[in-house]
Amino acid sequence: MDTQKSSEKKKTKHGKEVLSKEELKKQQEFQAEAIAHINSLYNYALHLTMNPDDAEDLVQETYLKAYKFFNSFERGTNCKAWLFKILKNNYINRFRKNSREPGKVDYDLIKDFYHSIKDTRVDTTEADSDYFHSLMHEEVYQALQSLPEEFREVIQLCDIEGFTYEEIANMVESPIGTVRSRLYRGRKLLRGQLENYAKKYGFNTDTEE
Amino acid sequence: MNCKKAHVLMSCAVDGELTPKEEKEFLLHLSECKSCTEAFGEAKKTKLIIREKILRVKAPQSLVDSVLKLGVFPGMETEKNLIFDQIS
Repeated sequence: MDTQKSSEKKKTKHGKEVLSKEELKKQQEFQAEAIAHINSLYNYALHLTMNPDDAEDLVQETYLKAYKFFNSFERGTNCKAWLFKILKNNYINRFRKNSREPGKVDYDLIKDFYHSIKDTRVDTTEADSDYFHSLMHEEVYQALQSLPEEFREVIQLCDIEGFTYEEIANMVESPIGTVRSRLYRGRKLLRGQLENYAKKYGFNTDTEE
Repeated sequence: MNCKKAHVLMSCAVDGELTPKEEKEFLLHLSECKSCTEAFGEAKKTKLIIREKILRVKAPQSLVDSVLKLGVFPGMETEKNLIFDQIS
């Protein structure tokens, strides 16, 4: 994996290795553009793999590949979207083969997963106090995980990561119209799930105002 | 626009991704329809729920460190601060 690095090294007359000017520039630019998205990438990797070690590997690999191909990154476009696409491709190539069956939800796994990341979580702000806000993090996560992958994916990319439809379309390699209809259908399913949880706690889920 | 069409557009409207023409018609319909206005409010809330309730964690420091070293070959004495040293 590191073989291409050797060509980028050069030695000074003292025999000490330094980065070439171009390499130094590339590295600076890479750090300024790409490193800022590491938390987002890590979270997305966690959701995909449900395993901190795999997530770390996946992000590491993503950055290695991104660095290697950084010259092909179109300057001025969304670097985060570019990195996400690399991460997703890596995930498909490496992890997907032995992933769980679509539509099957392993609730114990979700519970364990949540337990394992709870301590390091970034605090969220909670404003209102209506029935949706009574939902637990874990339940929302379960509801999301229960969706077929093609729906869950676009909801994550749109609602959590804030990508535009165009960026998502490019990432999932589908037309914008498909992204749009997946979001529509996915949210409908998700809402149904969330309302089930809310009902469980005796909240009235009829539209109230 | 009728309620059925408005409901189909709602998810897209929440994301601000309607075409200008759709948006105009959608907003016109909302101004005339109380139940669609309420449903739109709920749809916006659902998006917010996802954003708020899904926990975000920080990438482990070991990962951040190793990514910061990309392009810096191993064996350099200063490693992490290499670029900054070279600039100054």
